[in-house]
Amino acid sequence: MSQPILMPKLGQSDEVAPIVKWRKRIGEAVNKGDILFEIETEKAVLEVESFYAGNLIKIVVPAGQAAPVNAIVAFLGKPGEKAPDVAAAPASAAATASPGVEHNSGGRHGGRPSRVENKDSALPSGGSGSVPTVAAPLAASAVPSKPGRLLISPRARALANTSCIDPSGIAGSGPDGRIVEKDVRAHLDARGYDKLRISPAAKALAAQQKVDILAVTGTGEGGRIMTEDIQRAMAERPKPLTLMRQTIARRLTQSVVTSPHFYVTVSVDMGDLLKLRQEAKTRGSDYSVTDFILEACIMTLQEVPEVNSSTDGQSVRWHASVHLGLATSRPDGLVVPVIRDAQKLTLVELHQAAKALAARARDGKLLPEEMSGSTFTVSNMGMLNVENFTAIINPGESAILAVSSTLPTPVARDGNVVVRPIMKITLASDHRLVDGAMAARFVNAIKTKLEDVSLWTRSI
Amino acid sequence: MPNHLNDLRPDFTKRKISCGSIQAYRFDATLADELAARHITKREAVDLLEDMLIVREFEEMIVKLRSGAYPACAGFEYRGPTHVSIGQEACSVGACSGIAAEDYITSTHRGHGDSVAKGCVAIRQMNAAALRARVPEATGTPEEIYEAALEDHIFRTAAELFGKEDGYCKGRGGSMHIADFSVGHLGANAIVGGGVPIATGAAWACRYLRNGRVAVSFAGDGAYSNGVVLESLNWAAQHQFTNMLAKAHSYGLPMIFAIQNNHYGMTGRADNEVAGVEFLARRAAGFDDRNMHAEVVNGMDVLAVREAMQRAAALCREGRGPCLLELSTYRYYGHSLSDPRNEYRTKDEEAAWKEVDPIDHYTREIVAARALTRKGVEALVEKVQARNARAAARAAKALEPKPADVLKYLYSDLTSAVVPAEFQKVEIVREKPVITRTNGQLTYRDALKEALLEEMLRDNRVVVYGEDVAEYGGAFKVTKGLLEAFGRERVFNSPISEAAICSTAVGSAMLGLRPVIELMYMDFALMSGDAIGNQAAKWHYMSGAKAEIAMVIRASVGGGKGYGGQHSQTLESVFAHIPGLYVVYPATPRDAKGLLKTAIRDNNPILFVESQLLYMTKGEVPEDPEFTIPLGLAEVKREGKDLSFIVWGPAMQDALKAADELAKDGVEAEVVDLRSLIPLDMETVLRSVRKTGKVVVGSQCVTTGSFMGEIIANIQHDAFDALDAPIQRVGARDTIAPQSHVLESAFLPNVGDFVAAARKIL
Ligand SMILES: Cc1ncc(C[n+]2csc(CCOP(=O)(O)OP(=O)(O)O)c2C)c(N)n1
Ligand SMILES: [Mg+2]
Repeated sequence: MSQPILMPKLGQSDEVAPIVKWRKRIGEAVNKGDILFEIETEKAVLEVESFYAGNLIKIVVPAGQAAPVNAIVAFLGKPGEKAPDVAAAPASAAATASPGVEHNSGGRHGGRPSRVENKDSALPSGGSGSVPTVAAPLAASAVPSKPGRLLISPRARALANTSCIDPSGIAGSGPDGRIVEKDVRAHLDARGYDKLRISPAAKALAAQQKVDILAVTGTGEGGRIMTEDIQRAMAERPKPLTLMRQTIARRLTQSVVTSPHFYVTVSVDMGDLLKLRQEAKTRGSDYSVTDFILEACIMTLQEVPEVNSSTDGQSVRWHASVHLGLATSRPDGLVVPVIRDAQKLTLVELHQAAKALAARARDGKLLPEEMSGSTFTVSNMGMLNVENFTAIINPGESAILAVSSTLPTPVARDGNVVVRPIMKITLASDHRLVDGAMAARFVNAIKTKLEDVSLWTRSI
Repeated sequence: MPNHLNDLRPDFTKRKISCGSIQAYRFDATLADELAARHITKREAVDLLEDMLIVREFEEMIVKLRSGAYPACAGFEYRGPTHVSIGQEACSVGACSGIAAEDYITSTHRGHGDSVAKGCVAIRQMNAAALRARVPEATGTPEEIYEAALEDHIFRTAAELFGKEDGYCKGRGGSMHIADFSVGHLGANAIVGGGVPIATGAAWACRYLRNGRVAVSFAGDGAYSNGVVLESLNWAAQHQFTNMLAKAHSYGLPMIFAIQNNHYGMTGRADNEVAGVEFLARRAAGFDDRNMHAEVVNGMDVLAVREAMQRAAALCREGRGPCLLELSTYRYYGHSLSDPRNEYRTKDEEAAWKEVDPIDHYTREIVAARALTRKGVEALVEKVQARNARAAARAAKALEPKPADVLKYLYSDLTSAVVPAEFQKVEIVREKPVITRTNGQLTYRDALKEALLEEMLRDNRVVVYGEDVAEYGGAFKVTKGLLEAFGRERVFNSPISEAAICSTAVGSAMLGLRPVIELMYMDFALMSGDAIGNQAAKWHYMSGAKAEIAMVIRASVGGGKGYGGQHSQTLESVFAHIPGLYVVYPATPRDAKGLLKTAIRDNNPILFVESQLLYMTKGEVPEDPEFTIPLGLAEVKREGKDLSFIVWGPAMQDALKAADELAKDGVEAEVVDLRSLIPLDMETVLRSVRKTGKVVVGSQCVTTGSFMGEIIANIQHDAFDALDAPIQRVGARDTIAPQSHVLESAFLPNVGDFVAAARKIL
């Protein structure tokens, strides 16, 4: 009896998740605890372990496709065993709503058996009760504004395909404005298709990759289109945003639109603290500058709870605990792991917690619950050689602190110009909750803490 | 000598018309008497008992199989019909033993007994060579080989019922369609009455071939209310077979109508419910001045049946047929095993008939006549049971047909490319019709006539009949002159019996003739629905390719003449839907000749459609008598690159004119004439579609459900990417052909419709 593998439930909001990679091949042995596949959630790519041992006998949802939580994505079984005939579940809400397709099996509606009920008999007894039948590729749900279906005759489409051109811009002269063969031919003539020169390899690649060769500028001899030209065109083509980028886009846009941001910057002289850190290092305690900045923030947030708050526009909520978000960049985007109850941690603990989270974030192994619930966020670009920047508030919070690089800077000291390691920090605040004076107090309180080494000598 | 012209005068003299009398139960001899009179040998007497025992044992096997109680086939599940004939054994065995091995029978849904008996009787008469041919693997003494042949017969019969490849019809026919052409068994028939006109056609073929054989149709009392059976009675009794029209060959059809009157048609009581005569033998009086020598016979007495059958066969061989025998008998079980009988008859009735059980009665006779002792009878029973059990066990284990072979045997690959020498000799009784060309051109009508003439000259097996085809030359004169050339034996008027016209053709085709029959209007083909759809179309397949049904049904379409709803239909789509038929429809004189000739030479049943609108159209037609056009080859009638008209029949001519019209706008339309729907040449169609990308499919068929949809389905399936526009359909409107000229013009597609459909997508 084969064992169905279901799409796990991952966080609060994810109902559908795309499988980005299968880590086991069909036929491969799987031990309990082996990583079977990777899925992408809004916040990270996660590895899914197997609860069962067996052979991977069937992949229902291949890499690149999405499936709803609890849908069957694969089967384990004995080597050579035949897997049940189950189609992949639809990933998009639109598919769920399509008439005649009933996803919540069990009842008959209006006496008309649904396709799902028909399929149910094919389910293994251990399987989920609800396995819808329509597979939807990720792209379908990922590209939000799908253009209306192009009205084009099969023959015209075939001609466009063999000519390696995109017919979508052609004006159709057929019934209802359908593009017919003659329109494609006219388009080709008008665009000088006849004179187009293209290498056979480039044409084959263009055909395979559906690149419109009329939109490609040839760089070969006499304007001949070469493989590289097609490759360039391919690279320039719009691709669907990853789920992570879509999330970033949505949340940050929401933040900018709903929270009136304003910015307050101060310069922090890091000279003494850097020296202190260096001394600690020689004694074997390896703190990072970030550790001090975070600790200073945590302390200040407790002093100024208005900044550790959130609003829905009607009411304000002060948070008793500091759940500190650390904006962390990854090659494919941005994640914000959260140090929970940061006010309870010693500097050592804070250091360890931040380090561990950063490592997990880099490796894409954060769990959903490790990326939610922050009350204040620090975005640190200190290592990236920036003089100053502003950050966008994480939705649900009242402010975010942008930490720039520490740079040797000429400053006035006691009437003289001296060069000091100066770090600019900029607080972006939601004006609905935080006013200029409070923001100024907040950043200066941090500045004071970072410049007052006596504060730190005790704790390190 | 001119054709016969009638000269009938009015005669209203007062008189009484005698219907004669019909004898009932005249046989009263015992077996002892018959032996003494040397009407039967001891061996034959025992064989009769053995054959009845074989039949009963076979039928009881079916009954037992239903409840899993037949030990020889333990675990085997029989899933076919259970129309058993227990109680009627004397009819099957008596009748088959009363005719010669090479005589023909047709049988019924309750035909296991007939089938078993015909084979057993034939085997008993076979010489050593014939026996060895039936069971080539068998070895031993002649007696042992004969035994093996009997067992093989039971095996093949059972295997057919079980749907096995070793069955007589390779498992394609089964219980209700079993046939063994090698012993003259032309098939059981699941259509009540369906076998009767087939036997009649076979009898006609025997008459034509002068082979001295007889055809017997077994059919129940129920069948004798069926139209095609009544048509057959009339058909067989036609005066033209015996009077001056028959000239030297005055010879009544050698046909015996054997009514197996078991007094129930399913549950309908023949005697006092669904018929108006006490004895069905009376039917004979309604059709034949000589009452078909009809007799009522005790069908529970094998000797009585045998004796009556022998006399009837003898009469037939003297040319004094047809004969009719009503065999009164009884079916012990229900119509099938799902019929408990208690809803329509009493237990006492059943008991009374079992009192005269044919086997018990004959057993007593055989012991009394000392042909066998009681012990001898017991030994015979055991032998039969053991033999049947061995055969059935083998059949249950025999190979199933391969699923991949589900289409095998649907059509025949054979043709009459080589005409046997005996049929090459053709007699011209008077003179051939003269068919003259003007500028090398012939009308569509004359092209058809030329085809018929040439094929009849080429092959004596080609015969032509239908309503008014003889002197009159057919309602549309296509056959005019053929009677004068070939005489009434090959060209004769049929009664107005469309069902019998088509079904008798099936019967004569089974005997190797190649009938070309005419349906005056295609509408009348619906009268022959069973003959065309259930008989002609199916027998090649159902017999496992043992039967070749080489026949052509010429059907004329009357649309466009203001003849109204029942004389104007274009029905080829209906028949193209029935697997087993070919459907051909030429649109030009050249195609009419070339295709008709090929159709006549082809061994498949072919519906050959002609259009009355086209009969007068002219065109070039090759004179070469070997000019033929293959079936299933469409033709590009006009080349073009912008649009394809895919058409057939008169619509082809409209499409050509539409193409002329479109050419004025510089549009080059291609016209593809399908010429035959089955077989269908999609390749030519697809080639055109790939070239033009725009398609108008047209015919005179009523649009909805027509074959045009089939063409369109194929195009979108196989050439979707070649399509530049939605495919258009130009057919008749979805209604009944009206009489009004104005309305009929609106009803039928015309040139304008083709042009408009084309413009829509250009
Ligand atoms: C044309 C046709 N109508 C109805 C049936 C259904 N049917 C099968 S057998 C039968 C009764 C036939 O009675 P009869 O001819 O007396 O033969 P019997 O069954 O008594 O042997 C009927 C109505 C059929 N097979 N074919
Ligand atoms: Mg009956």
